[in-house]
Amino acid sequence: MKLDTTGLESALPLFGANCQMVDGFTAAPAFELPTTLDFDGFQKEAIQMVKPAKGTTTLAFIFKEGVMVAADSRASMGGYISSQSVKKIIEINPYMLGTMAGGAADCQFWHRNLGIKVCRLHELANKRRISVTGASKLLANILYSYRGMGLSVGTMIAGWDETGPGLYYVDSEGGRLKGPRFSVGSGSPYAYGVLDSGYRYDMSIEEAAELARRAIYHATFRDGASGGVASVYHVGPNGWKKLSGDDVGELHYKYYPVTPSTVEQEMVEVSAA
Amino acid sequence: MSIFEYNGSALVAMVGKNCFAIASDRRLGVQLQTIATDFQRIHKIHDRLFIGLSGLATDAQTLYQRLMFRHKLYQLREERDMKPETFASLVSALLYEKRFGPYFCQPVIAGLSDDDKPFICTTDSIGAKELAKDFVVAGTAGDSLYGACEAMFKPDMEPEELFETLSQALLASVDRDCLSGWGGHIYIVTPTEVKECTLKGRMD
Repeated sequence: MKLDTTGLESALPLFGANCQMVDGFTAAPAFELPTTLDFDGFQKEAIQMVKPAKGTTTLAFIFKEGVMVAADSRASMGGYISSQSVKKIIEINPYMLGTMAGGAADCQFWHRNLGIKVCRLHELANKRRISVTGASKLLANILYSYRGMGLSVGTMIAGWDETGPGLYYVDSEGGRLKGPRFSVGSGSPYAYGVLDSGYRYDMSIEEAAELARRAIYHATFRDGASGGVASVYHVGPNGWKKLSGDDVGELHYKYYPVTPSTVEQEMVEVSAA
Repeated sequence: MSIFEYNGSALVAMVGKNCFAIASDRRLGVQLQTIATDFQRIHKIHDRLFIGLSGLATDAQTLYQRLMFRHKLYQLREERDMKPETFASLVSALLYEKRFGPYFCQPVIAGLSDDDKPFICTTDSIGAKELAKDFVVAGTAGDSLYGACEAMFKPDMEPEELFETLSQALLASVDRDCLSGWGGHIYIVTPTEVKECTLKGRMD
């Protein structure tokens, strides 16, 4: 299996003078493989280490005014909450966003790689922006070449290109789907419930943002592995813009304010004799 | 996730000056999914004795029903309430009876014994008693609770200060645990009154 290393080629071969780092011969850049006796077993263990990290809720949908992208901000390791302030919406470039679900390191690296190596290079070489279709296809191909090696990536690529708004779901198994609405992560069933029942194509930006925020909030309420802050981004013809980042704990009491309950037994002041 | 983490729970009891407080979270879940946010984990055995049961919810309910049954029989025979020390021994014996097929619970017992001296203890799932002078913890958030209580505990606290300290310790700890939280329940028991409060916490 030939690994797709187009994403890894650095600028080094262009500067022939600085060859000290390359040992005299230009070796093809590649990830170092671990030196173990049982490579498959080691990879299986690595997969198990990363697997619990798909505890998250992310969603994105296309509507009249563009693409709405939202995510929670909790990172969990089994039962322990390791962070409540993780950035799960990655800014690939000023008009494309990627969402993070699965292994944090995997998502961060490959999105950054996509933005810098793939999209920027395409823009410079072809004098025009890369389409969402193109970017997601290139990412899917890269991930497919690493299939079975333990990468854990469940991402949505959302952007606005010449054909209008675009949304693709790409995962580390090599799957790539085009669609109008997606939600990824352990909290996605709960988010789908709210998203699907409240969705209309012709919503205003505020309505769509509120729908996305509500869907994330409901997922954080029911799912133990989602929580923290509900971030909402909008991708329009001029690029993406962060609309809000609300703490989910406060959102609960905003949607369901505490009503004073009837007191069953109350102690009354007894006047001293 | 282990069987103890199937439903998720957080329990803590703390000793003050002639009083004690026992607090729990309110979540009942099935692994990561939250089913209920008003689950009762602390039960009153009598006015000066409370037991909280963490771990598998079905075992916690069954164990509580068994303990109530035994205590009622004791009340009928002895015509008085059980002392906390005696009750702790009863819990320990009942758990060890199932040594080779245990209840997946970790109880926290808190009561006022003779001379209104507060008594707290916890046992593991097969009945090993652990008496403590300051605080005891149980549940999926147990490790976080140990840290929070150790940092916030002071000896001989009055009931109001004890309530504040215990609520802060509980809420801080469950905010670091996926499987417990969604509010809190706290009982502050002094020789003259029992105060029951519901805590407003993060619902995520």
